[in-house]
Parts: sequence; C-alpha cells; structure tokens
Amino acid sequence: MTYQLDLLDIQGNVLRAYGRFRYPAARYVFFNIRDGAKGRAFVAALTRRVTTAVQWGEGPDKLPPPEWTLNVAFNYQGLKELDLPRESLIGFSPEFVAGMKDRKDILGDDGPSAPEHWDPIWQHNRETREHDVHIFVSINGLMPLPKDAKPAAVQAAVNDAKARVEAGYRWLLEQVAAQQGGVALLGGHRGDNGELLDYQDVQAVLENGVPTSKEHFGYTDGIGDPVFEGVPYDAERINGRGKQLANGQWAPLAAGEFLLGHTDEALEYPPAPSPLLLARNGTYMIYRKLHENVGTFERYLDEHGQRYPGGKELLAAKFVGRWRDNGAPIVKAWDDASKARFDADYKAADGHGKDQLLSNFTYDEDMSGGRCPFSAHIRRINPRASLEFTRDEQDPAKVCGAFSVSEGAFDTPGALANRRRVLRRGLPYGTVKDRSRDDGNHGIIIMMLNADINRQFEFVQQQWINYGNDFKAGNDKEILLGNHSQSEHFPSKAVLQVDPASDDAPYILPRLPRFVETRGGEYFFVPSLTALRMIAAGTVDPT
Amino acid sequence: MSNIAGKAYAMNVITPIRWYTAWLNKLIFWVALQRPATLKGLITLSLIHYARWVIIGRDQFPHVHPSQPRETLKYSYMLFFSNFNGSWDQYVDSFTFAIPSGLDMFWKWNVRYSKSVSLTPFHKYIRYNQLDTLHYYNAYPLATSNDVKSARIVKAKLLDFDSATRDASDDDFAKQYRTLLRDLQHDLGDMYPTPIVSMSAYQVERRQRWHEGQLDGSKH
Repeated sequence: MTYQLDLLDIQGNVLRAYGRFRYPAARYVFFNIRDGAKGRAFVAALTRRVTTAVQWGEGPDKLPPPEWTLNVAFNYQGLKELDLPRESLIGFSPEFVAGMKDRKDILGDDGPSAPEHWDPIWQHNRETREHDVHIFVSINGLMPLPKDAKPAAVQAAVNDAKARVEAGYRWLLEQVAAQQGGVALLGGHRGDNGELLDYQDVQAVLENGVPTSKEHFGYTDGIGDPVFEGVPYDAERINGRGKQLANGQWAPLAAGEFLLGHTDEALEYPPAPSPLLLARNGTYMIYRKLHENVGTFERYLDEHGQRYPGGKELLAAKFVGRWRDNGAPIVKAWDDASKARFDADYKAADGHGKDQLLSNFTYDEDMSGGRCPFSAHIRRINPRASLEFTRDEQDPAKVCGAFSVSEGAFDTPGALANRRRVLRRGLPYGTVKDRSRDDGNHGIIIMMLNADINRQFEFVQQQWINYGNDFKAGNDKEILLGNHSQSEHFPSKAVLQVDPASDDAPYILPRLPRFVETRGGEYFFVPSLTALRMIAAGTVDPT
Repeated sequence: MSNIAGKAYAMNVITPIRWYTAWLNKLIFWVALQRPATLKGLITLSLIHYARWVIIGRDQFPHVHPSQPRETLKYSYMLFFSNFNGSWDQYVDSFTFAIPSGLDMFWKWNVRYSKSVSLTPFHKYIRYNQLDTLHYYNAYPLATSNDVKSARIVKAKLLDFDSATRDASDDDFAKQYRTLLRDLQHDLGDMYPTPIVSMSAYQVERRQRWHEGQLDGSKH
C-alpha cells in the first residue's frame, strides 16, 4: 500500500470499527446548539479530545489506544447553527441537507418503520428549533486485557470498558456545563422499559459473559467491511474486502469512495463543500437505530426450519449468507460436508487465516444462487462480482434456472458493486430477555460511512435491500432487512434457489414478516481535525 | 413532461458529430453488430429495455412541409435512444462503471465528448444534450425488462409443463413440478410498483394524484 492517508487528520471512527480494536461498549450523545459562539467553543473543547486515526502500538514513541475515544459529527442544521457560510453550506449534498426523515420514501421507512414510530429524539428532530439534533458525539470504552480467559475475568474487563465510557461521558457533561446553556443535551432514546434516556448505549452481545461480534439474531456482524487505499491496519485484509479484479486478485478500493478530497473509483473527487479544507478527510455518516423483532424472527425460523430440507441452521444461514455459529460464508460451506471442512480449516487457522476464511470469497462458483440465495443479506449488500451475470439459455423453452458469469462483459468484474460500498460501524444495543417477544429493547445502531449518501447508502437501501431488479428478482426484497409488505393480500416472499443440476425444488419463503424496523436516524458529516478546528474557530471561508 | 412511465425511463440524447467523421461511427456500429461480443456488456446490464444509436446526416433531418424553413446544419448528429429501468443516475452510472470503453468507442468522434470516466463531465455531457420526453406511454408500468423476459419464460414453461404432465403419474408429476420450479427459480420475482425514482418525481406523482382526487389531506 503506497497511498498515504493523513491519519492525524482523519477521525478515528472513520478508519476503525472500534469494536474490532477491543472497544466493546459505547455511548452516543446528541446536542442542540442554543448559541452559535458557545456552540463553537464547545466544538473547540471536544476537538482537543477527538480520537484520530493514528496508529497505536509499541515503538520509540509508543502510542497507546485511549481509554475512551471521542468522535464528533454534525448534521446540516448543526453546521448552520455553527454559522458556516452559506457558500459552504450549499456545497453539501441534497440528501444530507434534507436529512434522513425527509428521505423516508427513498429508504422504505414505512409502516412500523415510519418516523412516527421512531424514538422521540428522532421524531422531534427537524420539527422545532429547540429539539433539532445538531451534534453527534460518540464515546467508546477500551476493554483492558482480562487477567485470564475465564468468564468472570472477561466480564470484569467488559465492566471496566463500560466504566471508561462513563468517565468519558462525565467529561463530556463538564464541557456542556462550561458553555452555560449554549449547548443542550437532547434526550429521548427509548430504554429497556420504555423510559427515555439521555443517551444511546450500545455494547457487544455477550455469550457466557464474553463479548462477541454477534447481533441479537445470532449472526456475526461486520465481517465484510470494505478496505480502501491507505488504511495501514487493513493492509492484510484486502482479499475479499477490496475490489475484485479480472485476474482474480483483489485491490483496495479508492479512498475517495469513503473520504472526501480523495479520488474515487471514477477517478474524480467526490462532490464536496468548499473550501477543500472543510471537506478533505471528512465523510458522511448515516446513523440508524434498527430494532430487531427477535420473537418474530425465532418463530419464523422455527416454523420454516421444520419444513426446510436442510434444517433450521442451514435456513438461518440462507437468510444472511453466513452460518450463525462461526460466520462461515455459505458459498464455502453449503452442505454438511463442506461445512465440516470449513470448520476444520477454521479451527486450525491463525487469526489472519480465520479472517481470510471468512472474508475471502467470490460468487463465481455460485452464480445461480444454489448456495447463497440472491436475496440473502450479504449477497444483496455487497454482490461483489456477481452482477456480471447472464442466463445460460436465452430460449424461454430451454431456461433451466441457471446463470453464469458473463465473462469480460464489464471493464472490471465488480463494476456494479465497487461504487456502492459503505463502511459499517456501530454495535448492538439492549439485551434480549425473552426470545419469544418483539417488544424488548434490542437492536443495532448502525453507522455507515461513505462519500456520497445517495450513490452509496441510499442506493443499496432502496435498490438492493427493498427491491430486487438488479438480481433479476423483481420486487423481491432482501430477506432480513427488507421492508416486507404489511398487506394481507400482497405479502412479500423470497426464493431460495437450488443447484440447477440437482433434482430439488427451490424453497419459497412465504409471507415474510419484518424482522427489522427503523427506530430513528439522521445524516451527519464527520469533519477532519482540520475542519473541526476551523469550524470551532469560525474561520471556514470558501473565498 | 415526464421521462418516466412506470418502471421505465426514456432517454434521448442527440450529440453533434462532424459530417466527415460520421462514416467512422457508422463503421464502428457495423463492426459492433457483426461481432456481438462488443455488445456483451450492454446486454449484461439487465436494466436496459432497449438502446439504439443512429447517425442522422446533416441533410437527413425531416423536412415535412414546404413552409418549414430550410436549415443549414454545420454538423451531422448522433441520436442515442434508450428505455431503461431505474433512475437516470443509476443508468448513466451503470454505463460508466461497467462499460466505459464501449461508451467511448461509440461517442469517440462526437464533438466535445468528455470520455465516460471521470464521471461528472460525462454526466454534464449527457444532461446537456438530452432531450426531455414530452409524452411517454408504458403498457406494463409494473414490469421491468427482466420481468418481461421472465414472463415469457414462465408462460412457455407452464404450457410445456401442462402438456407434458397431462397423463403423468403422481410421482412423475411431482418430479416434473420440482423441475418446473427449479427452471423458473429466477423468474418468480414479485411485480409491484417501482421504488421512488427521486423525491421530485415522487412529489410530482403525488400532486397529480391529489388533483385527481386520489389522495386525501393537504399533503400534496
């Protein structure tokens, strides 16, 4: 990797999914600016404590990871209240200006996902001046290395991480107090018993007291996060996470897909506000609170797991494209024998080997979806090179449910996927106390980062999750996240394809319920350190 | 005006081309038609109903009535005409992501063609030379190009299945039924209205429906 990023200028949460760096707990806090000058002073105070993307570790100038991280972002109104000049404000993208609530019809946030069901903080956002969200702050707590691997020691370490989040939060409240009413904390996040909290807490789901990277349905999350140029700690993670080249190799994606002020996959700078110093090394962040209907999920999986020929766990794997026990991609482990092989390899592999087993695959051997269905989560959100495909037979009478690679059709195999990637951050929230119920406080906070909200996040959400034409699947939606129809008469369904050479029939998942519902969210801008300092000093000037 | 009807978008782009290089384009088109591999990328992009490139010579524009003033055109023109599914961005972007060299080959000799990469100059070139559609009718507004193809396949397969199983035993029927479903496993997608192409198009549609009395309330 020869491309160099200015790690001291980029906020740490842009390049790092903190969960992977031993930060299993976090708190997200939102503020309303009551006074522009005090708001800027508040930003100045935060900026001095902001965690950058600098490399941690041993060496002559050893730089330890902080006990708690702090990162800051603003939505459009926030930047307005901080008195950014109009000439800069009009350079932000239209969807960022409009905000997530206004984009609900694009995002498919309807029915139980509609804004009237969102947490109060998000319902009230962009309705009245004093309830508008302006500033986002995230604090992640570092887990010390446990004394031993016993659950008690690990649990103590997790508690230490949470205590560090608390310490960071206390510091944050001091900064708020120092501004004497210039900045107000906005509460209104629903908690465990429907009470309203001043913050959104998240933490890794624990299994026997040990933090996992699983969400509440039991799937491992965040494996396929994209890798792009210049991220030093991702140098060994390119295969399966960058872009697939014609010769079968992988290369990191262009930095401009995820950072403003860098060239992107179309060899240009992504649209960005001026001046350049405001935009460069910053990015857009999509914050979304997604409730998981655990009871509905369990019931549906049980019901169809009994009928599905491969059994319940294989069916669960078909929903997502990965097995729940170890995250094995189903394209590598599609039946008992291949799963046993995968498990043996996985067990024997070292850390890097495990990572590659999970992430380094293509759909080249599964173009018909007999292993990973076309509506499975990972195939929809990142189809890799699988959209360069064609029917084996064009004659209607001879069609046999088979597709193959349309070799050489596109200039590069991943052409239709490479500009639709998003970085995914965030952690689960709440705990599941009763797996038969939907109404507990459990879900995930997902934060997605990209250079162009409309081209990347919104496109994937609308075209690939809530629609299926690119997958030749009509209006069929992605199984797990799709905003499945609420209509009795026109329910949603999905097709689980089979090997065209087999004697099996595809399994149709009928009457798909909504497994996941939106509970709030907003579009934010994550500035660079340079931009934060300029915003704080009130010196942003595009002339 | 509307470039959109149901799930389809109609695009007309007319770009000037020097009359003395127009024959080169005709040659390129001819070669492309002789060698289907050159159009493979275009055909693989399944959101396209139809795409056509035509050279209109500078003296070939219709003169429909003696009262129509005669024009002296400096350039010949290339008309690009396409119907596709999805939004303008999605279509133009798919073109430049997937088949930039093919686009460059077709537009290469056009005046001030920017090349398809980088994206923004190409976007501007298409936008500037695009003629909006005044009237656009779609007989199957819920159907994408893929849906039309699938419907033809489902029909052919069902008719075959019907005649082949008329006298089949139960076991044989079950086997053939499984085969039918397997053969059709990529042709059973639901057909519902299009996702919103853009917020502005959606607002136009809602306003129209409100005027037609189909929407209650004041939100229009």
